[in-house]
Amino acid sequence: MIPSSWLHLARPAIKNVGLACLHLINFGVALHLFKENVGGLCFMSGPSMLPTLDASGELVLESILPHRLFPNKLGRGELITLTSPLDPSRVVCKRVLGFPGDVICVDPTGLTAHSTEHVIVPKGHIWVVGDNAAWSRDSREYGPVSMALVRGRIAARIYPLSRFTVFSKDATYIE
Amino acid sequence: MQPTLNPDTSNWDDIVVFDRYSVNFGEPIQKDDIVALRDPIDGRKMLVKRIVAVAGDIVKTLPPYPDAEVFVPEGHVWVEGDEPFRTLDSNTFGPVPLALLDSRLMYIVWPLDRIGPLRPPIPPVPERGAPRDFRWYSNLAAFERGQRRQARVTTRSTTTSHS
Repeated sequence: MIPSSWLHLARPAIKNVGLACLHLINFGVALHLFKENVGGLCFMSGPSMLPTLDASGELVLESILPHRLFPNKLGRGELITLTSPLDPSRVVCKRVLGFPGDVICVDPTGLTAHSTEHVIVPKGHIWVVGDNAAWSRDSREYGPVSMALVRGRIAARIYPLSRFTVFSKDATYIE
Repeated sequence: MQPTLNPDTSNWDDIVVFDRYSVNFGEPIQKDDIVALRDPIDGRKMLVKRIVAVAGDIVKTLPPYPDAEVFVPEGHVWVEGDEPFRTLDSNTFGPVPLALLDSRLMYIVWPLDRIGPLRPPIPPVPERGAPRDFRWYSNLAAFERGQRRQARVTTRSTTTSHS
């Protein structure tokens, strides 16, 4: 039997702990919503973007909201994050190469497909490739991907401060 | 999805419950599930389609698709509407990645005569002297549609490997 005086003393403490827990949950949910819809920092891993992004230990800024608001502003040569068409639980980073209507040579080296095989990117789809062609599973393997799979762009590299970069539309191509 | 949802015999638009949790975290997608997915051509639209084949199956396609048979690759599904004509489905845009699936239909709520979870189509029993109303015929049609759908799919049990 707990004496009523003890309970009387403990009640404010219990209330404070409860409130703190609720605030913590609230903060966690807000953080998740921000990270899924506006943008955030994320660690990159994997060798598929090697010359541009290191295989591990780099922190990049992912911007999602600008892509949500203006999906047509996606530029050729930009780094994007997309949900993997092979495994929906993974998010991968690739470079945009082709837009709807473009004629793409599937693999000029002829390793994954015959070097004369060309495809037309269908409406609402894009062609994505990794920078490290030798070690990347990209559109050469699974074909054009739907724009609905694109999450956002890689805006900048933050963490190794010596390698700080802002990724911009700097692709040069012949129209 | 017309004969299954919003049938012509109903005066109302159907109200249904979609389960988003089970697609993302629950049991894997199975054949004959009805799912809501984002349109691969226009990501802002949502489509409601039936899963015809899952990864590893071989499907005989319908006219708009260029190839006669297609192998559904790893991480993809083949979706179709229940009406073979007048539908925008995998026969137009090919296999759909699982990441575009949004939710699974769990329960029909509104027209009270069809309330309940989605039932697999059962062959209507031919009863002697029983009246054959529109419901009997629509059950038979749904059953035959299901049979025809299954006949077009060859299941091949493959072990998918991740690299």
